[in-house]
Amino acid sequence: MRAAFAILACFIAASLVRAENHITWEITPPVCGPGQPFRLQVRIESDDILGGANQVGREIKPPRGMVLRYSGQVFRANATEATLNFSGVAPEEEGNYVLPAFNARFPSQVVLVPAITLIVSNKTGYRKEGRARAELVLPERTFYVGEKIAGGVVMRGSEQETVTGSFGLECEAEGFTFQTEGSSFTQPLQDGLGLMKPFDLTPIRAGQSEFSLSGIMLVNTGDRISSLNISGRDRPFNFRRKLTVEHVPETGRPADWGGSIGKLEVTPPDLSNRFPEVGEPIKLKLTLVGEGNLERIIAPEIPGTDTWDIALASELRQRRSEGRRTFIYTLVPRLPGDLKTPAIRFPTFNPDSKKFETVEFVSVAVKVSGNAPAKVELVTIDPSAKVGTPAAKMITGLLTPTVAAGVKGVAKIEPLAASQPFWLSNTGALVALLLATAVISIVGYFAAHPEFLIRRRARGNLRRARAAAQDAYRRQDYAAYARAMTQGLRTGAAPLLKAEPLALTQSDILRALPTASPTLIEAIFLAADGEKYGAKDPRQTIAEDAQLQAMLNTLEAQL
Amino acid sequence: MSRHLSLLALWVLGATAPLQAGVGEAAYERGDFVGALQTWRAQAEADGVTAELLSAIGNAEWKLGHKGRAMVCWERALLLSPRDPVALAGIKHALGAGGTDRPTQTWSENYAAFLGADLWLILGAIGFWGTLLAVLVPKLRRQTMGDWTQRILITSATLFALSIPGLYGAYTLASRAVVRRTDVPVKLTPTVLGEALNGTAEGDVLRTGRKLNGHTYVTSADGKGGWVKSTELEPIWGGTLPVNLDQPRAP
Repeated sequence: MRAAFAILACFIAASLVRAENHITWEITPPVCGPGQPFRLQVRIESDDILGGANQVGREIKPPRGMVLRYSGQVFRANATEATLNFSGVAPEEEGNYVLPAFNARFPSQVVLVPAITLIVSNKTGYRKEGRARAELVLPERTFYVGEKIAGGVVMRGSEQETVTGSFGLECEAEGFTFQTEGSSFTQPLQDGLGLMKPFDLTPIRAGQSEFSLSGIMLVNTGDRISSLNISGRDRPFNFRRKLTVEHVPETGRPADWGGSIGKLEVTPPDLSNRFPEVGEPIKLKLTLVGEGNLERIIAPEIPGTDTWDIALASELRQRRSEGRRTFIYTLVPRLPGDLKTPAIRFPTFNPDSKKFETVEFVSVAVKVSGNAPAKVELVTIDPSAKVGTPAAKMITGLLTPTVAAGVKGVAKIEPLAASQPFWLSNTGALVALLLATAVISIVGYFAAHPEFLIRRRARGNLRRARAAAQDAYRRQDYAAYARAMTQGLRTGAAPLLKAEPLALTQSDILRALPTASPTLIEAIFLAADGEKYGAKDPRQTIAEDAQLQAMLNTLEAQL
Repeated sequence: MSRHLSLLALWVLGATAPLQAGVGEAAYERGDFVGALQTWRAQAEADGVTAELLSAIGNAEWKLGHKGRAMVCWERALLLSPRDPVALAGIKHALGAGGTDRPTQTWSENYAAFLGADLWLILGAIGFWGTLLAVLVPKLRRQTMGDWTQRILITSATLFALSIPGLYGAYTLASRAVVRRTDVPVKLTPTVLGEALNGTAEGDVLRTGRKLNGHTYVTSADGKGGWVKSTELEPIWGGTLPVNLDQPRAP
């Protein structure tokens, strides 16, 4: 009954539980300029089938200055989710505008959409009106020979003039190399009204020089929403700027600096095989990322160690825009064991801080199997030493031994288990103990059961009496025969009757031998004991020797 | 007069003994490993070997590049003192950077290494005899077990039970040997021309099994089995200093 109630309660609880609706929204662009059109998308996920929303537009009360219209719903039959689309125009003033919570009425339920905040800022670069214009993006600082300067031309449009492309980008600057990713490579701006044309500038000699950049952008004039009133035109741009270029300072320049200028970072080293065998080459892939002249870095030569033979195998060429450079080294383990790959360091010059910095690829633990070559040199350097650790530091892992004076040692290291006296003494003691235990147990047993010894003794006496009787029979000594036979009967019957043999009479013998002839027993007893009382001649009892022997045999069998 | 001479002799011995003890260490410190080795060997032959002395000799042998001899010394030092720090560091270094292999110890071997083989045997014997006597003596005396007898029985039985894995671990630990030659082939059969399955290097520690035809069945650290010539191995038990393989054997 209780179980039935529990199951019922579970059903009721499950039917009463309602999952909350999950509501998300997205404003494109996330931050709008004043008067910039935007798009709002509200996404509702529910456990129930939602269907089409009714009268959404009437429920919304946009804040003052904002225009917002319900533009429709992405509708799918029998779907548990709904996407409501709105289009609007941001207010003309900067600030945060809160769209109050509103109800979305579906056939199955009413979903409350919480308040939504729209951020309006002048910093987005959005321009509602005005001519399209180009801006040069280039750092304002001293440049260094060999560095890669990431620059770009930002072509900003407006609602009236939209920038749709550019061509004819030319650079006139002595002492610089100018590179772009190609004429077609441009990045659209976030507001969708302009483009960004990136380029790379590399100074090749020191001094002051004038940098000149010119090009043409394609501009569409007219209402960009209406495709019937669009006309395009070319609009040229030209920039001139004086740039100062210096050499990388020699002060503090590391000896192993390979020409790297920029802000570099390392990624975790990638090893092709962490469990190689001795002599098996493995690939160590090192990837540098960040801003800088990655393609100009000279791969450092890493000397072999006692544990590794190292060679620069190749490098992966990435596109310049990817901002990464990968070096691949071939490492060949020379010794088995738990090794570490060498820590590889890249010094780089940071043009912002004007200081040399070092990035380091950490060591990777490798377990090398196999056998060491015949001649093994000892390890003298620690491959995982940190930056600045003297390379000549001896790390062998051995502790300095200390030998105490005057301590007597052992002449031969042999286990006690190999000692013959130990095992002989233990075995002897064990055998003696077991023998003593056995003896004491046997003696104790017979002491607890004396009938065994009594019967055994009686058996012996009976046999001796029989032998004496047979001897007397051969000698025709009738009296001796009767005495021996009587003694045999008494001896054999005594343990059965638990009595002393001499105390037994012929009637006692009959109790032990119920089937025996009473006359014969009386006769033999009379012959044995009656002589002194003047009994009859015992000669006739000898004639019954077979019966008497049978009695003795019966008694012996019972003992 | 003779008393004064005796005192003088004692003073001289007392003054020179620490100096002799420090000679090897001083030589080792300044990098004269041959000198240190000779000093310590002489000390070992005179006074017998201790764990400290064997560890020190192992370090000096390692420094001279004698991996097999060094491993034998360190392993034997651990037999005398299972937690000798110098020997443990030496073996760890040999396994890590030195390129030697050593079978991973089983749990019973780790357990056995806690006390040493002899101590386990003594404890086992005490536990065995205590248990046996606690059971038999009351029976022989035809008495019931008293309180103390029961305590002795439980203590002895516990000691004996605890010593069994230690004895087993000590037994398996004793069945090991160090490869003394470089590039020793591990053969499929215990014959001179047996097919070489793989190889072992000097200083590797192998588990040893039965012997046949001058060969010993070994199991390497990675579990591969095969036959190795017995003369190329040196058992860990049963010696003091590593044998000199270059010296020809007496006929």
